[in-house]
Amino acid sequence: MRNNKSGPHCLCGPFCIMMTDNIIINIEDLGFDYASDDGEIAALTGVSLSLARGSFTAVIGRNGSGKSTLAKNINALLVPTRGQVTVGGFDTQDEDRIWEIRRMAGMVFQNPDNQLVSAVVEDDVAFGPENLGLPREEIRARVRSSLESVDMYDQRKMAPHLLSGGQKQRIAIAGVVAMRPDVIIFDEPTAMLDPEGRGEVLDIAKRLHAEGITVLLITHFMEETVDADRLVIMDRGRVAMDGAPGEIFTRTEELRALGLRLPFAVDLAEGLRARGVPIPEGLLHEEELAEVLTCLNQK
Amino acid sequence: MIRDITIGQYYPGYSSVHKLDTRLKILMVLAYMAAIFVASDFVGYVIVLIGLLCVVGVSKVPGRFILRGLKPIFIIIAFTFVLNLFMTKGDVFVTLGPLQVTSQGVYTACYMALRIIFLIIGASMLTFTTKPVKLTDGIESLLKPFVRFGMPAHELAMMMTIALRFIPTLLEETDKIMKAQQARGADFETGNIFRRAKALIPIFIPLIVGAFRMAGDLAMAMEARCYRGGEGRTKMHEFRFGLRDAKAIVWFAVWFGLIVCERIFDLQSMLVAWLS
Amino acid sequence: MPESKIIVKNLTHTYNKGLAYETHAVDDVSFEVAEGEFCSIVGHTGSGKSTLVQHLNGLLKPTSGSVTVGGVDVTAKGASVIDVRRKTGMVFQYPEYQLFEETVYLDVAFGPKNLGIAEDEIEVRVREALGLVHLDYDEFAQRSPFELSGGQKRMAAIAGVLAMRPEVLILDEPTAGLDPKSHEDVLALIVDIRRQTGCTVLLVSHNMDDVAALSDRVFVMAAGRIVRAGTPEEVFADEEFMKGIGLGVPRARAFASLLARKGLVLPAAERILTRGRLLDALGALTS
Repeated sequence: MRNNKSGPHCLCGPFCIMMTDNIIINIEDLGFDYASDDGEIAALTGVSLSLARGSFTAVIGRNGSGKSTLAKNINALLVPTRGQVTVGGFDTQDEDRIWEIRRMAGMVFQNPDNQLVSAVVEDDVAFGPENLGLPREEIRARVRSSLESVDMYDQRKMAPHLLSGGQKQRIAIAGVVAMRPDVIIFDEPTAMLDPEGRGEVLDIAKRLHAEGITVLLITHFMEETVDADRLVIMDRGRVAMDGAPGEIFTRTEELRALGLRLPFAVDLAEGLRARGVPIPEGLLHEEELAEVLTCLNQK
Repeated sequence: MIRDITIGQYYPGYSSVHKLDTRLKILMVLAYMAAIFVASDFVGYVIVLIGLLCVVGVSKVPGRFILRGLKPIFIIIAFTFVLNLFMTKGDVFVTLGPLQVTSQGVYTACYMALRIIFLIIGASMLTFTTKPVKLTDGIESLLKPFVRFGMPAHELAMMMTIALRFIPTLLEETDKIMKAQQARGADFETGNIFRRAKALIPIFIPLIVGAFRMAGDLAMAMEARCYRGGEGRTKMHEFRFGLRDAKAIVWFAVWFGLIVCERIFDLQSMLVAWLS
Repeated sequence: MPESKIIVKNLTHTYNKGLAYETHAVDDVSFEVAEGEFCSIVGHTGSGKSTLVQHLNGLLKPTSGSVTVGGVDVTAKGASVIDVRRKTGMVFQYPEYQLFEETVYLDVAFGPKNLGIAEDEIEVRVREALGLVHLDYDEFAQRSPFELSGGQKRMAAIAGVLAMRPEVLILDEPTAGLDPKSHEDVLALIVDIRRQTGCTVLLVSHNMDDVAALSDRVFVMAAGRIVRAGTPEEVFADEEFMKGIGLGVPRARAFASLLARKGLVLPAAERILTRGRLLDALGALTS
């Protein structure tokens, strides 16, 4: 999050590439082609990113910009056509490490209905640990703690289809947390939720990050990215912009050209500036903007 | 109404029957079914009935709930009854036009109807008192010894698990698609059988497309959570064979033994002889 | 005064009637919508809004009460289903999941065909409907709907409803799952369709910004009842209430309240519902 930007590991911030052991995910010149009727279509071209341990990175882009393909390449659900992806030092093309990679880099998907396996909440959360072949008592302990960490322990005996979309997503998150991952990749987890569900899921992502899990949040809602350490903007399979949210949001023209919208506070600040109100750059939160406006008014 | 069908439903509870080891329950139901066929006369059926009533009593599943489960198969029972009533040859008892009812017919008809009822109620007691998820686990566990002969025990159980999870979702989906097509003027209720079958295409295609999308998504989510088949997998739920189960076996064995003895030694004839 | 386009009187819909878990999904709801009006229904998930709108084209029959759309009593026993469907077009959530035909043309033609419209007239309607959703007829009509992109599929599905030329258009969360650009496109489209066809629009939405920007009137549902009704200004004036039922208010309104809490009270703050008005108010204040 913004307030612990430097993190405990490295003094030069989340963009540090000097200390390689602090890098959990390294993507180098990644290219990925989909086979289609018209031959190979490049979904990703020349994507290079490295994520620091404990960082919170948001990836944003329009539908079809390649952001989901990127996520699946990290979890070894897809393997690169070109370039290389390593997770915790293991190459995703190394067949022997694939399960270790998938455990380290857990994934939460978009559709809340289509990623739960069992008709009972706690059994679903147990699914991952069961796949890892953990002892029974360990599974029980993990199911309990993961459900508690998403505030769904009371619903452990319920059937998923009776839960709200936000609750289903929380169960999916618990299922990933129970595998004790280093990284959680959220692949548009809020796209199909109502505003309330969206808030619930986002809060939990932030909470898990605060507990030390590296978070990669893929989304198309700008609002959800303001608290990230780093914002990566994808467009037509390439990284179009990469930097701190505060820096990226000043490049409003570029963002518009990419079909993206500004977060409410940034957009408002820009509108006010255009009307000659002297608002400083780099305000991301409504709270900050309100503060500035109140001060201005008092003068 | 679909809601009225209680066969295969779970009736939540905490009775001893609910808590019994699922594997044991499945085996006992199988043995019970065999026992129904072993019992062949009045006394035998009385013993079956007593056993069944004991289980129902202990399980605390309301009788009304159980009887409601018989409703959908009432036709089958009635059909079997009528068929046996008129089709059994023997001493003519009553003549109704071209049809003859024999005393053997009355006897067979009653026994067959009772047999079906016992069968259904007995099998229902398994599903009433066992969560579907547990049932799946139980079947997987029981089939495990056959894995070496090529029985895909884990795969079957996984398929059942997924089916249980997705049936409600697919039902919801079907309802949504039906409404959406109805809103576009689709009519599923009139016309002859071919017209009606054709009218289902706008439901089936989106439903199948949706099911494939679901299956694709789910397969990916399962892989992402390190699923790689049954090998090396552990389970959170454990079947623990306890004192309760041992007691149940003893009771069941006594009951089963009674039925077998009754059949072998023809206790009914002895009873009749003794009484007269 | 002309009769209202939609008249709902004492509508109640009870699920599982007579059972212990009987629930009133819609509980004694009455409202009217005038011809050409743009109304929104907002409510928490499970508040009964979906059940309510499904009565407007006879997909659900009320337990009690009546619904009249364009002079046709939808709930009457002998009501012609086709008449009712002709009046009310309904775009469900994720409408792209209903596509089933081999070509976009045939899929869009499905509705008109069911209404018994002649073949040559159907082509006119398909052209018109695809035009309304900005899908080029020559490019898309003969393509398989399953080959289209996500946004295009949704447009094709909406065209399938528009081809029935409904007098009342009901849209249930038409922008769910779309990225912000497509979201704006769909909203612009709805405004455009209404301008071109003059239809009455009923929008079910979770997005208070959209509701405030587009609606003439808003109905707020909670626990099966309409708990607030009025212009967006009236409905969103009571911010605490809207938050209390889990809905909230438009972001501009929320921001004005935030400023007020910090001591900067904007004039007529309760009327500030859109970005534009907020900018005007702030601009006027600071200049």
